[in-house]
Amino acid sequence: MFSSQPFKDGVKHAIGVPALGLGSSMFAFGAFLHSSGFDIFQSFLSTFFTFALPGQFVMAETILAGGTLLNIFLAVLLTNARLYPMTVNLTPVIRNENTSKLKQYIAAHFIAVTSWFNMFAIHRSLKQEDKFDYFVGLGGFLWANSVLCTVLGYLFSNIVSHEILIGMVFLNPMYFLIMTVSNLKEKKMITSITLGALLSILLNKIFPGWSILIAGVGAGSIGYFLFKGEPSE
Amino acid sequence: MSNQLIYMSILVASLGTYFCRAFGVLSARNISPNSPVFNWIKCVSIGVISAVIARIILFPAGILGESTSFSRIVCTLIALGVYFYFKKNVLLAVLSSAICFGILNHFL
Repeated sequence: MFSSQPFKDGVKHAIGVPALGLGSSMFAFGAFLHSSGFDIFQSFLSTFFTFALPGQFVMAETILAGGTLLNIFLAVLLTNARLYPMTVNLTPVIRNENTSKLKQYIAAHFIAVTSWFNMFAIHRSLKQEDKFDYFVGLGGFLWANSVLCTVLGYLFSNIVSHEILIGMVFLNPMYFLIMTVSNLKEKKMITSITLGALLSILLNKIFPGWSILIAGVGAGSIGYFLFKGEPSE
Repeated sequence: MSNQLIYMSILVASLGTYFCRAFGVLSARNISPNSPVFNWIKCVSIGVISAVIARIILFPAGILGESTSFSRIVCTLIALGVYFYFKKNVLLAVLSSAICFGILNHFL
């Protein structure tokens, strides 16, 4: 797999803006862990095994606030629950009849907002048998780059100013925003995106822990059922 | 904060996160990319991502919470403006917004 052309093409796809957007935020996260009392090995492990930044921040903040392991598990589960529909959505797109279950479960670790958006942006131009390797190249590179950037952020946290670190964290949501806006083509997508943002803001004070899930499921369902007949791109 | 507690926290956070991914693979077993369920889940996924972005911009956690709402909202508008004005140039939109964000944060 690692020597196949689709895998290499996936790596090439990841190098550039996708790796920069995610890597800069991971760099800032590494610096944040340094200032929070984690050691370098713990910082490495966090991104190596979790690879989902909002949940990683929640983990670190909950432990700093004196939360229990159960608090951490539930808070991270809720924060990273977006990965569930994303995985249900991406897996049928990338697998083929030769993709074993084990491979699918391993590749799932590379599913994150950045790899999801980029894979959906390109998958129609790929042959079905190439998609899995392509995704592993794309997502795997983003994951490895994130682990490296977390460690670099930890090591160089004393050199980079706090203001620059905050700016680096801001790069990633802006990249997500632009990738989301690039999906404003079908009416059901426009409705899901707009309502998702609005409902999330409205529900934040009422259900702070659940607002994202409720907003996303509600907005997506309304968008889908209102424009059910619309042909998909 | 003991080392053991940190390691346990990382383990628990990793399990919580991987559970979402693994359960997703399991649920996707019988879903075809051409089915209505697939299209509904795609709408839900993009709705959830949009909700996450709105939450990060308006109610951020972590060190982003140290910036002002004004600078985050202005720079979000800058990102969108640059993206559409410069023929959907992703790199220019993201970088110009982050640079403006750094400058605004310095002065506000």
